[in-house]
Amino acid sequence: MRNDDLALEDLTAIADAIAGGRITSVEATEACLARIDLWQPRVNAFLRVYREKALAQARAMDAELAAGKRRGPLHGVPMAHKDMYYRKGEVSTGGSKIRGDWVAPVTATVLNKLDAAGVVELGFLNMAEFAAGPTGHNVHHGHCRNPWDQTRVTGGSSSGSGASVGARMVYGALGSDTGGSIRLPAAACGVVGMKATYGRVSRAGAVARSWSLDHVGPLTRTVRDNARMLSVIAGHDPDDSTTSEKPVPDYEALLDGGVAGLRIGLALPTDGLAPLDPQIGAAIQAAADALGRLGAKVSTVTLPDFTALYRAAEVMVKCEAAAMHRPWMEKTPELYANQVRTRMEAGFFIPATQYIDALRLRSHFVKEFLSSAMDGVDAVLLPAIPFPLPTIEETDTETKGGPAVLKMVAGFTGLTRPFNTLGIPALSVPCGFDTNGAPIGMQLVGRPFDEAMLYRIGHAYQGATDFHTRMPL
Amino acid sequence: MDENTMDEKIRTAAGIAAGLQGIAYDDKRLAELAAEVEILNDAVRKAAAQRLTFDDDPAAFASIMAKEARS
Repeated sequence: MRNDDLALEDLTAIADAIAGGRITSVEATEACLARIDLWQPRVNAFLRVYREKALAQARAMDAELAAGKRRGPLHGVPMAHKDMYYRKGEVSTGGSKIRGDWVAPVTATVLNKLDAAGVVELGFLNMAEFAAGPTGHNVHHGHCRNPWDQTRVTGGSSSGSGASVGARMVYGALGSDTGGSIRLPAAACGVVGMKATYGRVSRAGAVARSWSLDHVGPLTRTVRDNARMLSVIAGHDPDDSTTSEKPVPDYEALLDGGVAGLRIGLALPTDGLAPLDPQIGAAIQAAADALGRLGAKVSTVTLPDFTALYRAAEVMVKCEAAAMHRPWMEKTPELYANQVRTRMEAGFFIPATQYIDALRLRSHFVKEFLSSAMDGVDAVLLPAIPFPLPTIEETDTETKGGPAVLKMVAGFTGLTRPFNTLGIPALSVPCGFDTNGAPIGMQLVGRPFDEAMLYRIGHAYQGATDFHTRMPL
Repeated sequence: MDENTMDEKIRTAAGIAAGLQGIAYDDKRLAELAAEVEILNDAVRKAAAQRLTFDDDPAAFASIMAKEARS
């Protein structure tokens, strides 16, 4: 291994070392637990750590391997997940106070798949209350803090997923993404996050934010790690009728095609919902230049006006969230954070016709995007978060409020939410650091079910850069 | 927006909240919600007017994703 501390290795290296008998799952698990002891007080990424249970699982995985049984490509690898994936018989808070002691009646399909692949579960991770919020604030369980600078936000709503992977507490984590909630924490914490095509990964047994826009996906340290994890969790699920029956590729096996000859559209939006800060623009331009040096044909593309698409997404989220939260909003509204409750309330006032039209518009939006920005290119490259990472205090809508704070918070999702409406895959990859030393992430966006293309580009980029190998001190 | 128009919007919102949803809000919050909903509704209504026809089906989204699949 390259590192004395096993926790600093990446997921695929650890999985392959366990499979090859060079290390044990117990050793990897103990390394992660030691790292959790070091970093949890600083970043508050975990809501629950399953120390003894994880070690028992690891011992069982080692015993299985010694007996000649390898469950799958993640055998013995310790992970933890956003606290919204149900594990039958165990508490699942959804980051809320309302479900503070709620016990899940079923296990999420994605957890079953990870179990079948041999994953060791270290615990469950902090998140925005009911996956509502792009910053990582949580008034009930404590704000999650960025491992690179604990005064700054992690991005959300998969805050603990981003922070735990970024701080090398776990090798991989599940997040979920309704408006950017995988890609934002991935970008903010310097890790890789994939929001795959809508229908690629089952949502069954996961807390919903918006059934129409929710995407389940992995956060990891490298693109290769991410590809391996997505290959395990993707696929049709009878318990989620929106999942596709398309076969799942072996994404990891498709990584090494390189980018020579690929066409990449560079989009640096200068107006719209999320004005681009120059230093972020410079980092994305540098990433495009790096891909160009690897042989990609980079051209400039113009994104369509996302305003209607963004508003349509808001209509879907608010209406669906209001419907599912209605009983609690009527009986115990005080148990929500104000900013979480108030963001849903408009859903009670939006006419059903507008909601249905928002759904009907989606196919038009997809056709328009594919025939404009994506016409003639294999992927579009753009920023994930359009401005340098703000502090927790600057973005605390619960205590500060005011139009400027609300505008900044809303700006987080200006370049991510549109791809939830479109349902197309989007990968966030680290591509630099801002002047405060906080990570910058780029997004690669592709055609429906073309996750393999995004991984291929991201992997080539990581082969030529070292942003993903840097870690917070 | 003039005061009469705002009052009308608040009354409409109050009617929806109390009469249709069974939820009570004060006038300040109703005014905020009315303004928020107006922006969202306008955006969707305009986009719909430019694009939608009688035959548009929400399920077309899943179809277009499958048809446009690259791999």
